[in-house]
Amino acid sequence: MTKKKRHHPDVEEILSRPWCYYCERDFDDLKILINHQKAKHFKCEKCGRRLNTAGGLSVHMSQVHKENLTAVDNALPNRAGLDIEIFGMEGIPEDIVQQHAQRVLAAYHQTQAERQAAGAKPAAGGHGPNAPKKPKLESVSELKKRLAEHKAAKLAAEQENGGSSRGDTPNPPASGQNQPQTTSAASPTYPGYQQTYTAPSTNGSYSQPPSFTQAPAPAATPYQAASNFPTAGSPPVVGYAQASTPQPGVPVYGQIPTVAYPPQPYAQPPQPSFQHQQPPMGYPSQPSFSPPYQPTYPGQSYHGQAAAPRPFGTVSPAPGFPQQSPPMHLAQGVHSPVGNGSFPAPVRTGSVSLPSAPGLPQRPAFGAPPVNAFQFQQMHQGQIPPPPAHNVVHQNRPHEASPSATAQQPPPTILPTNSSADDGQNASSLDDLIASASKHADANAAAAAAAAAPSEPQSQPTASAPAKEDATEEKSEKKDKEKPKTTRLVYSDNETSPEEKMAMMPKYAFTPAQKTIMV
Amino acid sequence: MSSQFAVSEVPADAISALRFSPHPNSLRFAVASWDKNVYLYELADGKVCTQLAKFEHRAPVLDVCFGKDDNEIYTACLDWDVRRIDVATGTQTVLSTHDNGVRSVVYSKEHSLVVSAAWDSTVHIHPGGEAEWSTATINLPFKPFSLAVSSSKLVVAMANRALHIYELKTLASECKSSANSLQNRLDIEPWQRRESSLKFMTRAVDCMPNDEGYASSSIEGRVAVEWFDPSNESQARKYAFKCHRQHVDDVDVVYPVNAIAFHPIHGTFATGGGDGVVAIWDAIAKRRIRIYPKLAASVAAVSFSSSGKYLATAISPGFEDGKDELVEGMIGIFIRELAENEVKRKTK
Repeated sequence: MTKKKRHHPDVEEILSRPWCYYCERDFDDLKILINHQKAKHFKCEKCGRRLNTAGGLSVHMSQVHKENLTAVDNALPNRAGLDIEIFGMEGIPEDIVQQHAQRVLAAYHQTQAERQAAGAKPAAGGHGPNAPKKPKLESVSELKKRLAEHKAAKLAAEQENGGSSRGDTPNPPASGQNQPQTTSAASPTYPGYQQTYTAPSTNGSYSQPPSFTQAPAPAATPYQAASNFPTAGSPPVVGYAQASTPQPGVPVYGQIPTVAYPPQPYAQPPQPSFQHQQPPMGYPSQPSFSPPYQPTYPGQSYHGQAAAPRPFGTVSPAPGFPQQSPPMHLAQGVHSPVGNGSFPAPVRTGSVSLPSAPGLPQRPAFGAPPVNAFQFQQMHQGQIPPPPAHNVVHQNRPHEASPSATAQQPPPTILPTNSSADDGQNASSLDDLIASASKHADANAAAAAAAAAPSEPQSQPTASAPAKEDATEEKSEKKDKEKPKTTRLVYSDNETSPEEKMAMMPKYAFTPAQKTIMV
Repeated sequence: MSSQFAVSEVPADAISALRFSPHPNSLRFAVASWDKNVYLYELADGKVCTQLAKFEHRAPVLDVCFGKDDNEIYTACLDWDVRRIDVATGTQTVLSTHDNGVRSVVYSKEHSLVVSAAWDSTVHIHPGGEAEWSTATINLPFKPFSLAVSSSKLVVAMANRALHIYELKTLASECKSSANSLQNRLDIEPWQRRESSLKFMTRAVDCMPNDEGYASSSIEGRVAVEWFDPSNESQARKYAFKCHRQHVDDVDVVYPVNAIAFHPIHGTFATGGGDGVVAIWDAIAKRRIRIYPKLAASVAAVSFSSSGKYLATAISPGFEDGKDELVEGMIGIFIRELAENEVKRKTK
């Protein structure tokens, strides 16, 4: 944790860095900045003497070399003036300080967003070491309080309808179990639930709560592992082993997890989508039971449900719930993986930049392609206008067609594949956007893109379109990584030189007829 | 600190070319303009610049170069003619007539050749000085955009990123031998055919003073440095870099690189871009040595004096910087006196 922090200094640190008024470079400390200014901006061209300020240099130049200094060397175009006396960080006008701060902030946020996006990329393929998952820690007293509530609610539920509560409750325990897949925390909680099921009303079972309350603490670290989970089969197993150890008092459980939770179920749930989709489904089904529990592991506990039921059924004595939960799990399984698998959760890339909701664990980062702020904004506005650069870039005519073509394309390609239509549509349009944007952005890819572009319109109505799209998309995404910026050519006609254009202007026109007459 | 001053008398319209005389100790430079004139200036004491002469043409002049001495200049004109101008008398001689506007003209003093390239996709080779043979024509596959000569090579940069390198020696001998053939078509194979390493239209090209290679620029803010030597080793040394770009609101605004000029002594080179910036580069160390403050308009031409002590920069608005309106003060010629080590390769 601390190490990570080192790598990515926080805003204050960045903002407090001294920077050079003339070239906007920032430095580790003031001494270096001053040295930089002396060497780069206040150095005399003639004799190499380093002065302290621009004014000093100006005086030196006029006295020693009889020359007038008109501009500060190596300065940004609008900063080369001699009228402002700068020394280190002193003398910088307030408005420029603010501009700089703003720029730094913007850059900071961008890099952070990029980092999040980039850090998540591996998560899709393996693990997300950079994924900023923070464990939710709760104080013991809080947990105890919650446990008490939970117990009360449970009791109440049982008293109200002992039978039916079982029907509903399977979900929570399932989630409890499933959690182990993501975290060891889950397994400790599980016992708590188990009590409610196997021995519903016995008070003896409550003696176990300690395990429940304590669990979250060790759980904290495993929680982070959650992000690793979906692809790697083994980590969860390890998690189990750990999970079972902290509860020496519950030997049965310790064994159950290892036996009952083979890695496969874990691999199934694509977590991100679950978190978003689950809550609405889950809440109604577990009114009596879950509330106290949820706060502890919101979101994650849910998606846990999906995978858990099956293994749980094999172990648990409760006959009702293997039957009940599987359908749910299936439904979810069908639902989310589609949305998730085919499109690497691009819709939620937007959420990366959003603050995470207070009650939820930090939003997972996705393997989303890096999208710049402007594109984000456009996507959030729901329209897919081609980035401004497209309008300006004329030299590749075929490209201009592509944004519009791709904008139309998504719906037909998506509808058949995805039930969650808007999910998919957003995703694909986003991808298209990126693809087209990066196409334009990348000058090097221009030739390749030009080749690809003409084929797009043709393939538009056919089924091969998506595949083709994907190919170009992948290609451009790769390129995108290197050059996330869009570019705008000031002179974009690749066929006709500026001189030829000027020659065509009426005022320069030369009519050869006139010439032939002369000859 | 280098000092820069603006030349007071400037052409009335956009400047198409500016070239310092390559002759030793000469401080003259010629300027070709869209106002149909060619101007000859002389720099005195590095502080004063006077206009010596003005030569009117029938159409805008696109290029100009000095001949065997300061009294002889050649012009490439939009009226399809290539002319020799005798500075002393002001007499103009048409060397040849292309079938379209003439874009560039260069002079090789080593081989006494005047080479012109026009938009009719031909290169005309004229004898410099007294005519022992008549003009020869070489057909090009595409429209030429820029010419450059070194002591032994002629580089023709064309549309479609094509680039031909001719050996001047071969050209000279071929021209002489085929002197009396009909139409004087020269079916000569270029010494090398190359594709530009830049992905966009070539804008300008210039040869290294040591005759080892050349640099070319494109409309897409990039410069490529390549070597003549066809060996793999030398070809592996070639590279390209981005320049003349501005970052505005997350968009990289890319300007064309309109002009390249090698320093005659240090072998570094200057580039002038549509952004109005002139930068000095070290082709060997792959470093930027210097970048000068932005000027009011697109840089149309840059040229070093033969002594290497002065750098002349011509600016004029145009398609290159996205403006086509002519504004007062947008046309200018700036002479910069270079300090001893200002554009010298850093020795480290």
